[in-house]
Amino acid sequence: MTDAPELRQRLTEDWLAVLIGLVIFSLALVSLTGSDLLGWIVATSVWSDPAKALGTVSKSYVDLGGPLALVATYVALTAVLSAGAKVLRLPVGKFALAFTAVFWIAYASWFVGSNAYLAVVTPADLKKFGIDWSLKLTNEGGFIVALLVGLVIANAFPRFAEWLKEAIRPELYIKIAIVILGGFIAVAVVGKLNLASSLLLRGLAAIVEAYLIYWAVVYYVARKWFGFSREWSVPLASGISICGVAAAIATGGAIRSRPAVPVLVSSLVVIFAVVEVLILPFVAEHFLSHEPLVAAAWIGLAVKTDGAAVAAGGITESLLLAKNAAEGINYQPGWILGTTATVKVFIDVFIGIWAFILGYIWTNHIDKREEAERAKVGEIWQRFPKFILGFLLTFVIGLLLALTAPTDLAPKVTVAIGEANSLRVLFFLLTFFSIGVLSNFKKLWEDGLAKLAAVYVLSLFGFVIWVGLVISWLFFSGVTPPLVG
Amino acid sequence: MSDANLKTELKTAPVEPLLPIELLLIKTSLGIGVILLIILGVISRAIG
Repeated sequence: MTDAPELRQRLTEDWLAVLIGLVIFSLALVSLTGSDLLGWIVATSVWSDPAKALGTVSKSYVDLGGPLALVATYVALTAVLSAGAKVLRLPVGKFALAFTAVFWIAYASWFVGSNAYLAVVTPADLKKFGIDWSLKLTNEGGFIVALLVGLVIANAFPRFAEWLKEAIRPELYIKIAIVILGGFIAVAVVGKLNLASSLLLRGLAAIVEAYLIYWAVVYYVARKWFGFSREWSVPLASGISICGVAAAIATGGAIRSRPAVPVLVSSLVVIFAVVEVLILPFVAEHFLSHEPLVAAAWIGLAVKTDGAAVAAGGITESLLLAKNAAEGINYQPGWILGTTATVKVFIDVFIGIWAFILGYIWTNHIDKREEAERAKVGEIWQRFPKFILGFLLTFVIGLLLALTAPTDLAPKVTVAIGEANSLRVLFFLLTFFSIGVLSNFKKLWEDGLAKLAAVYVLSLFGFVIWVGLVISWLFFSGVTPPLVG
Repeated sequence: MSDANLKTELKTAPVEPLLPIELLLIKTSLGIGVILLIILGVISRAIG
């Protein structure tokens, strides 16, 4: 029998995300038996009268009322995540206090973002809310508000940002969200499996591009043009090319770099991811609104870190669906976000293998080590991002349920997974806010880091974004999400 | 090692020349990458 300390040691943040995501997904599925266990979660509508903004995700809990649903959601999330903090051996009291601040600030941002002047998109809705203008950010503009509030805290109130740090865990939040997202995507693609499998094939191009094209070029630029050492260039190239923080740390570890090196590189990755999240979805809305899946793949390839990329995919989906809806084209939701997430997950799958290849070359040929210290095949599994297993599991279960459910039960599958998805949105929100709080732009001007930042700017804005756009265009142009109905 | 030391190191570290095996890694990656992209492109066009 495994004792508690050993279990704790094994239960990393990755596995914890899988566990929490699967628990939420399972609770949602219980509603298929007639017991709605997640219907009390708070839902926020676009509002002009704040009293009408809050509600519950299920009508069966409508008597609870919006404000109480919000408190219940806060209590439930705090309890679950505090238990997770205990498993990770974090100070639970400090975590719960910091999470309380994180939750309420993030939710306040979401509430503000749902205001009609920020969110309304169509002329019909402008009329409905009795307003004559709007920023047209959609109701997911709350993500942007949360990110901006986080940035203000990071840059203007660094002591408060430091106090919040126990609960600033964007990687945990986004991994939970991605596990839940698997089921949501399954329900979205059912009935269109040919299109979905065609998109999966096209998604393979993203893996080739990130690992074999981007990495090689960025590594060369860092080594040859900027004169960085191998120890710095590997995590830097991985951070810019593959998948931000996770790849920088995995490949840095594989070549036996000092732990502080990929960590310092990661701090840059997050800052640039924020810049991309604030810009690229709006660029995609402006230039790629008629090629929504090109936009989706491009976001997945260009925005680094899972959190920022998948979250940016969510914003891009909202913006593109709204813009197309205003032109009378109603695409089914889920496909744009699903494509971005799939591209990102595909790329993540190979982090362990790429780290092993680099580790093998480094420990055998470049920085030769004793036999015991050389890279071993077992490291592939060790560095594999485990949350992907949770994503695959919820996807397969969601797909099987949607495909095999009797006619009377099929709509309930969609509703059940929709309830889990409402928590996915909240985890996205926590991710956006956390990324903002981690992004202290003053770091960019510090000695030494400016040179790292220069490689990043040159590679990202001079190469990665444009090549990503070309490849996304070549593989995804002309393919559009199914229309509603 | 502290962040401050790492930043100083970034400014002052001597240049390490590119080894043949690094160049081989870069060229092989790019070569295989371009070939695979072409193959995937052809397949994805073929299946529409």
